[in-house]
Amino acid sequence: MPIYFDHNATTPLDPRVLEAMQACLGGPYGNASSVHRYGRAARDAIEAARAQVAALVGAQPQEVFFTSGATESNNLALQGALATAPAAARLLYGATEHPSVLETAEALRAAGRAVEVVAVGRDGLLDWAAYETQLSRGPVRLVALMRANNETGVIQDVPRAARLAHARGALLHCDAVQAAGKIPVDFDALGADLMSLSAHKIYGPKGVGALVKRAAVELAPLLHGGGQEHGLRPGTENLPAIVGFGVAAELARDELERRAAHCRRLREMLEAGLRRLGAVTIFGDSAPRLPNTVQFALAGWEGEALLMALDRKGIAVSSGSACSSGKGEPSHVLLGMGWPRELAFGAIRVSLGPSSTENEIARFLAVLSELQALGAAA
Amino acid sequence: MSAVIAPATSRAARTIYLDYAATTPLAPQVLEAMLPYLRGGESDPLLWANPASAHGPGYRARAAVERARAQVAALIGADATEIIFTSGATESNNLAIKGALEFHGALRGSRRAHLVSSRTEHRCVLDSCRYLETQGVRVTYLKPDALGRIAPAQVFEALTPDTVLVSLMWVNNEIGVVYDIPAIARGLRERGVLFHVDAVQAAGKLPIDLREVPVDLLSLSAHKIYGPKGVGALYVRRKPRARLAPQMHGGGHEQGMRSGTLATHQIVGLGAACALAAQRLGEDAVRLAQLRERLWRRLASALPGLHRNGDPQACAPHLLNVSFEGVEGEALRASLPELALSSGSACSSATAEPSYVLRALGRDDELANASLRFSFGRATSVEEIEFAAQRVIEQVRWLRELSPFGKDG
Amino acid sequence: MPLVEDSNPFAYPAPIWTLFRSTPRAGGFAPGTPGVVTGEAQSNAARSRLRLQLRFERGRVADARFRAYGCPTSIAVGAWLAGWAVGKDVRELAGLSAARLRKELEIPDQRAHCALLGEDALRAVLDRLPEDPSP
Repeated sequence: MPIYFDHNATTPLDPRVLEAMQACLGGPYGNASSVHRYGRAARDAIEAARAQVAALVGAQPQEVFFTSGATESNNLALQGALATAPAAARLLYGATEHPSVLETAEALRAAGRAVEVVAVGRDGLLDWAAYETQLSRGPVRLVALMRANNETGVIQDVPRAARLAHARGALLHCDAVQAAGKIPVDFDALGADLMSLSAHKIYGPKGVGALVKRAAVELAPLLHGGGQEHGLRPGTENLPAIVGFGVAAELARDELERRAAHCRRLREMLEAGLRRLGAVTIFGDSAPRLPNTVQFALAGWEGEALLMALDRKGIAVSSGSACSSGKGEPSHVLLGMGWPRELAFGAIRVSLGPSSTENEIARFLAVLSELQALGAAA
Repeated sequence: MSAVIAPATSRAARTIYLDYAATTPLAPQVLEAMLPYLRGGESDPLLWANPASAHGPGYRARAAVERARAQVAALIGADATEIIFTSGATESNNLAIKGALEFHGALRGSRRAHLVSSRTEHRCVLDSCRYLETQGVRVTYLKPDALGRIAPAQVFEALTPDTVLVSLMWVNNEIGVVYDIPAIARGLRERGVLFHVDAVQAAGKLPIDLREVPVDLLSLSAHKIYGPKGVGALYVRRKPRARLAPQMHGGGHEQGMRSGTLATHQIVGLGAACALAAQRLGEDAVRLAQLRERLWRRLASALPGLHRNGDPQACAPHLLNVSFEGVEGEALRASLPELALSSGSACSSATAEPSYVLRALGRDDELANASLRFSFGRATSVEEIEFAAQRVIEQVRWLRELSPFGKDG
Repeated sequence: MPLVEDSNPFAYPAPIWTLFRSTPRAGGFAPGTPGVVTGEAQSNAARSRLRLQLRFERGRVADARFRAYGCPTSIAVGAWLAGWAVGKDVRELAGLSAARLRKELEIPDQRAHCALLGEDALRAVLDRLPEDPSP
C-alpha cells in the first residue's frame, strides 16, 4: 500500500462527504439562482452548508462567502480590501505567507500599491519589533498573516497581530487554510476581519473554499456579474462542492480533538525517530506548530531527490508547498526564516492525517534510514 | 352569470424540467469519469492527490487534467495548450475581458481604451464592462434589432482606433439568437482587434471550430453541457497569441493565467462532458430543434397574442422564448408550478424585474415580464413538450379570462 | 437533498397560494343582474387591476364575484374579498382595512400594495352603493 504523507497539499474525500455530494451530483438539482423548486432546494442546501462552515470557525453564517478555493479567497481579501482604500494605505504581509498571498501582493505592487513584507525569525514567528515599526510608519489598510504555515506548520500569534493592527486602524486577514480542522479556529478570538478557508484541506472536495468577512468590512468583488453571494462572488453556485464543504466542516469540528491527538502522537513518534537518525534539521520546532506537520532536511540529500526516492518507495511527501513543487526553487518559507539556501534545498515536508498509522511511520523511518546510508555512501 | 372555472390543478408529483439553459443534470458517464478522482481509483487509490504535487499520485492526477484539457480543446477545434481551466463561465468572462484590457494598459490610465459589447450579453459580461467603465475604459454597447440580431457591419462600425477588444456571445442565453460569429471574427482579425466570445450556450449545440473561426478568447462552462458546476474554461489563442493579465494570483497554475489548486474531478468532468457533447452534437441539435418547433406550433396555434422572441431563422436548437399578451408575468409563472422554467436568465429570475434582453429588443416592461424561456435538453421528451404546451395554453387562457380588461361583467 | 413542497415551489404564504390556485368566485355577474354593485381599483405601480362585484339582497351581500389582473397576491386578495363579503352588511363591509387583509392573507411588506388594491376595490363598491341596495 502506498503511504500518503502529504495531507497539507490535499486530503482524500471523507466517504461521508462523498455520500452527501453524490445526493446532489446525481439528483434533480438546479441552478440555485433559478426560482423554481429545484432552484429553491439548491438554495436551502447551500444555506445549510454555510451554517456548517460558519460553525467550524465560530462565525455567523452571513459572514461566510463561498469561493472557488483559498487562492480566490486570498485574492479577494487582498485585492478587494486594497481597492476600497485610499491609494496610500499599505498592505503588510508575513514573509512566509502562501504564494496566493505573496503573488497577489506582487501584483498589487505592480499596480502601484505600497506593499511590505514583515520579517519572521528563524523559528518562523513574526518579528514583532519590525511589525510594530512598520505599522507605525503611515496608514495600513490590511495585514495578511496566516494562522498556520503550510510548510513548517508554525502557528502565528494572530490575535496579537490583530490587536496591533486594529490599534492602527488596519484590518487583519488570516489565511486559516492549514489551521482549520487541525487546531481550533475561532474567527472572533483570532480578531480577524477576513479569513480564508479551503475544503480540500479538511477532507472536502477541491474547487471550493470560503472567505469569512465581518459585515463592516468593505470589499470590492474580484469577479463581476450575476449577484450571487451578495454580489461579492458571482457565478452559479457549485452546489455539490458547497454541500461537501459543509459536511467536511461539520466532521472537522466534531472530530477535531481526535484527529489532532492522533496526528500529534504519530508526529512525536516520527520526530523522535528523525532525531535518532541524526543529521536531521527540523524547521520551526521551537515554535508552536500544527500537530500533523514536520518539515525537515536530511544532511546529504536534496529535497527533490529525496522526494523522488521516497516516491519510488511508494511514499508521497512534499518538498514544500504543492504549488511550487518541481520548480527547482528552494522554499521561500525557509529562506524567509533565514535558513541558508543549501539547507532550504534539502527540505521535505511530511504532513499526516487521521488515516496515518504507526506502521506507516515505522516504514517511513526505515526507508529514510536506508536512504541516509545510501546518501552517506555516495 | 358568467362564472370562470379554474382548470383542475394537478397535484401530480411530476415536474417537467425545461430550464436546461440554466443548468443541466450531470450525465451518468460524466459522473462515472469523475468518481475515481473523488474517492480514489480501484487500482490507484490516490487519484485524488493534488495535481500540482511532485509525487507519483500527483503526476497521475496531473495526467488526468491534461487528458481533460485535450478533450475540451477537441470540442472547439483548439490546441490543448490554449485551454485554461477556471471556476466557471463567470470567471472565464471576467478573465477574458478584464484581463485583456488590463494587459493593454487600460486600467492604469496609461492608454485610452475602448471596448465593444452588446446590450444583450450575459450579466457577468455587462458587469465586467461596467466595472471597466469605472476604471476609465470607454464601452460601446451595441443595440440589437427587434429580432435580437447584431449585423457584423454594426460591429465594425463601432470600432475606433482605441478599440482593444470586442466581446459578444455566440448564442444568447435568453432568446437563443445566434450571432454570425465567423463573419465578425474574420472582420475583426482583418482589422487587428481582439475578439472574445462567450460560447456557454453555443457549446454542444452548434459546431465550433476555432481553426476556421479566428476568435481569440472563448468562454465555456461545464454545467450547461451535462458536466459539473464550478468549472469552466477559457480558450486563449496561441497564434497569434492573445495576451491577458491574470486576475487571480498564486502558485502559477495554468501558465500563470489562473492560480489555484486544480479541482481534478471537476476538470475531468468538464473533459468528459466535452467529449460527450462532441459525440452527440449533430443528433442533439436536430432533436432539440424539433422539440422547439413542436412547442412553438402548439402554443401559436392555440393562443392568440403570442410573440416569439429572437430570430427564428438564426436560433439555437434548445431555446424558445415567448411573450404572452394579456397576462401578468408573475401570475403566469406561478400558475405553472409543474414546469421548472425561467423568465429569463437564471441570474435575473429571482428578481421580478423584466428581462433587460427583451427590453433591448423593444418589448415594453409588461410584455417583457410576461415571457417564458423554455429550454430543452437530452432528457426532454415529446410527451413533456405536449404536457407543457397543454398546461401553458390552459393557464394563459385562464388568466386572460380572469382579467377584468375588456370585459363587462 | 430535501425537495421543496411540490405544490408551492415559489414559497408564497399558504393563504395566498391556496386562493391563487383555487380562485373561488372568479368571474362576473351577467350584465343587468339585480342588486349587483361593481367596484374597481387599480395599482399603477404594479399595473394590477381588481374588479369586485357584490350582489346585495335585503342589505346583505348574497353573492360575490371578482376579476383580477396582476400578481398571484392581487388575485388571492380578490378571491378572499369575494368569499369574505358574502353574508356581510354594509357596516361590516366598511370595517375592512388593508391591515386586516394583510393579516388574513399573510401578505409580506413588499406586497402591501395588493392589500391596498383590495381595500380600494371594496371602497369603490361602497361608494357606488345606492341608499337602499336591496332590490
